[in-house]
Amino acid sequence: MRFAITMFSFVAIASIIGTVLKQNEPYESYLIKLGQFWFEIFEILGLYNVYQAFWFLLILIFLIISTSLCVYRNTPKIISDYRKFQDKVQEKSLLSFKHSYKLTYKNFDNSRLEEILLKNKFRFKKKILRNGDELYSAKRGEFQKLGYIFTHLAIIVISIGGLFDGNLVFKVQESLGLKNIIIDDIPLKEIDSSSRLSESNFSYRAQMLLAEGEKQEVAVLRAKEGYLIQELPFSIALKDFRIKHYSTGQPKSFESDLLVEDKKTGKVIAETISVNKPLTVNGITIYQSDFQDGGSKLGLRVWDLHSNQSFVPMASEIFKTNKLVYDDQNFNVEFNDFRKFNILEIEDGKKKKLKNVGPNFIYKIRNESGQAVEYQTYQFPMIVGGTSFFMSGMRSTPQDEFRYIKIPADANRELTGFLKFRSLITSPKQVSKSIDKVIKETSSNKAIDINLFKTSISKVINSFLEGGYSQIANLIDQDITVPKQEEIANSYIKIIFLVSKEIIKNYKVENKDDDSFILDDSSSFIQDSLNAYSDSFFYGIPMFFELKDYQHIQASGLQLTKSPGQVWVYIGSIMLVLGIFCMIYIQDVRLWIIKYKKTKKIVFAMTTNRQHYDFDKFALETRDKIKSIIN
Amino acid sequence: MNKYIDKFLLHGLALTLSLLSVFAIFKFHDYMDNYEIGILVGATILFSWLGKTWLNFGRFFIASLILSFISIYIYQGNLMQAENNFFLKYFLSSQSAIMWMSALFPLSLIIYWISLFSKQTFYENLASALVWIAALMGLLGLLVRWFESYLISIDIGHIPISNLYEVFVLFCLITSLMYLYYEQKMNTKKMGPFVLIIISAAVAFLLWYTFNKGADEIQPLVPALQSYWMKIHVPANFIGYGAFAIAAMISVAYLLVDNGILKKQLPNLTVLDDMTYKVVSIGFIFFTIATILGAVWAAEAWGGYWSWDPKETWALIVWLNYAAWLHLRLIKGLRGTMLAWWAIIGLVITTFAFLGVNLFLSGLHSYGEL
Repeated sequence: MRFAITMFSFVAIASIIGTVLKQNEPYESYLIKLGQFWFEIFEILGLYNVYQAFWFLLILIFLIISTSLCVYRNTPKIISDYRKFQDKVQEKSLLSFKHSYKLTYKNFDNSRLEEILLKNKFRFKKKILRNGDELYSAKRGEFQKLGYIFTHLAIIVISIGGLFDGNLVFKVQESLGLKNIIIDDIPLKEIDSSSRLSESNFSYRAQMLLAEGEKQEVAVLRAKEGYLIQELPFSIALKDFRIKHYSTGQPKSFESDLLVEDKKTGKVIAETISVNKPLTVNGITIYQSDFQDGGSKLGLRVWDLHSNQSFVPMASEIFKTNKLVYDDQNFNVEFNDFRKFNILEIEDGKKKKLKNVGPNFIYKIRNESGQAVEYQTYQFPMIVGGTSFFMSGMRSTPQDEFRYIKIPADANRELTGFLKFRSLITSPKQVSKSIDKVIKETSSNKAIDINLFKTSISKVINSFLEGGYSQIANLIDQDITVPKQEEIANSYIKIIFLVSKEIIKNYKVENKDDDSFILDDSSSFIQDSLNAYSDSFFYGIPMFFELKDYQHIQASGLQLTKSPGQVWVYIGSIMLVLGIFCMIYIQDVRLWIIKYKKTKKIVFAMTTNRQHYDFDKFALETRDKIKSIIN
Repeated sequence: MNKYIDKFLLHGLALTLSLLSVFAIFKFHDYMDNYEIGILVGATILFSWLGKTWLNFGRFFIASLILSFISIYIYQGNLMQAENNFFLKYFLSSQSAIMWMSALFPLSLIIYWISLFSKQTFYENLASALVWIAALMGLLGLLVRWFESYLISIDIGHIPISNLYEVFVLFCLITSLMYLYYEQKMNTKKMGPFVLIIISAAVAFLLWYTFNKGADEIQPLVPALQSYWMKIHVPANFIGYGAFAIAAMISVAYLLVDNGILKKQLPNLTVLDDMTYKVVSIGFIFFTIATILGAVWAAEAWGGYWSWDPKETWALIVWLNYAAWLHLRLIKGLRGTMLAWWAIIGLVITTFAFLGVNLFLSGLHSYGEL
């Protein structure tokens, strides 16, 4: 028993390790977290998948053996105890019990005693002793001891059921070198039988990713740092995958319409599965486990934020890579994900509210040396603080949060307004004209050197156009002493704003007939545009991908489970509950009465194998009842 | 007079519940599957039986039913009534009922401590009555919240035991009721000062969670929780958690008495020891059942009865801990200080399984995130 408890402690400790160290992550992430040295030690110990580790299964097997031995040793004794009445007792031994009493009687009616015993649920046996004295040996609650057998058998049955489902067959095959785990992406056809598990595989939990309209005949079994192919007795086709939403926007259900075709009989089952509603075919249960994009088609416009040219159209798909040339350099654009619904917490007045902000897509722009910047861009302008912005986030490493560029949308909810704004403020002619006007308005009476003033304003504007606000900051750091920096910075920002405003005003005056012109001359649009222009210098290459249209294709992630141990685990569980109930709530009580004919004396004794508080009360009550019938 | 009322209660509760269930099945069977009808019938039998064997519970349950029907009546199918109607705003909406509960539990804690040093039985009776009322407000809060969730939208409606806020109310409710049962059964109110500490701590968390995180808002169910299993798995688990919490608090009392502190005021060691054992036993049985039901549910929702998800694994650790506790007590006859300390440590482990896993470890059980 000590051995078993030690094993149980091991299971507990191993389990804790398994919860602290995230299990079944990609090996790379362990390597980054732990470093080379510890990574290897942890790998040898099997800590990346504790519960399937060789030593963990070994402990379980030891547990089964040790508990079985325990049951084997104790059961015969318990069963004979259960059957037998202990009728070979001596008065002396009875008197050593805590509840033993000597009573005297006048009339002793055996039938009334037996009545009391039966009423109190005792079973009893009467034995005539040598002198005609009588011994009643009675007992109740013998089931308590059966509780011991039930609980221990339950642990054995549950553990065996668990081992059935623990991939044992594959473990043995792998350790004998019969099976190879695939680590790289290899086309399915090229995978040979050493990396395939046959249909007859005893138990598994495999995955299958199915795009809408696709049909597959095998599943993927994740193992260590790679995977294997699990053959199936049927093929599965995905007709449709749906996400339903609550009126509040949160997902309500994930559903897949499946066609499951038996390979042998050709019989087709059409069924819709969803979370909590799996489908079982041929002993294999098919679950809705997750979903992702299945290669949605995207129609894009690529805008160069730093040129005056119009967009370049681009068509692509998720999981495809497109070429892009910028500034004579080649880039790869890798489209990774598309999401049709994005439920975000949006500030609505004072309250935060969940709202669907529409589709977005995620892509990486990779340069020739392999460095990539990741982008997340929303299709529709998002309303932030009352203004609509095109939002696009970028980050250089997956650990970072996305940093967003916010480009104000024009009156038609298009990018055009901003781009027009950009082309105007970068036109030297417009800038120069507007600077003159600003100077005229701000310095009407003062006698200052207008040329000097103009040069310094031009310098500020040009710095801004070259590199945004951070360039202005550099300028200030170089030329101005610290105490004055803030004041100067504010005035520079104001000048940039005034000049920009003047440019727009000018343009509007000069192009009065242009009624298609949607450039907004409100100060918030100008300020937002200036901010966006400044941020565009920190956007990687300044190419903005605008999503024009899309065809949404989803993929459903299925899990396929074959679990022959399940029924055993359930049977074991029922036994466990019964056993615990017997052990705790049934009290094994023994009672003896020796009736001496000559002396008219009675020895009454009662005992239990577990001293509970209630027992004392029960013993005294029983004694008093007996007392009451013998007087 | 009281006799007649009790006589009515004895049969009246079972009758009322049966009539309500039959009505519900006839009127709403389109919205229920067979399992849910089964659970409704089971619950009817369970609560009728509880009310019959434990009369105070019967009274309590009838009172909560009457109050929640009044609340439902005042709502008139309009959620905005919670702001406009005086009774809803201050007493009968789920939010106010839960606030009353949150006020009354700490109050009864204080009065229990006063009663410990007072010779009059008035204080302990008052404290005990306050616990009953607090529990009543807690149950009322949950029942009305259940109704309110349907008022938001018919597809959002669900039993309010689906997130951390709701299960904390459930914890307070179940723990207090279990305590009240033992208070009556063991015929002593001296354990109240200790048990109410843990309940008040849960209330403190609940209040922090409400006011700092706005957790009281009713959220729709995520797909993984849309199952009749939730109605059985969660309450069973919380009977386990509640029992382990009570066991730990009584063990604190045990250790104090063992060291001669409050010896005059508290029950003797035998009573404390016995009660710890009883509570651990009932908790262990329910925790076992809850874990098994969880496994059965997992086999339906996650694709396997056991995934070594952190929550599952910690449930196993909790189970092994109390299995060892009971094993030592029942088989080896161990008792006393060591088991008392062990029960307290057990609560630390249980708390980690309940809260710590949600805070520090990520896994499939991510419904109760902070």
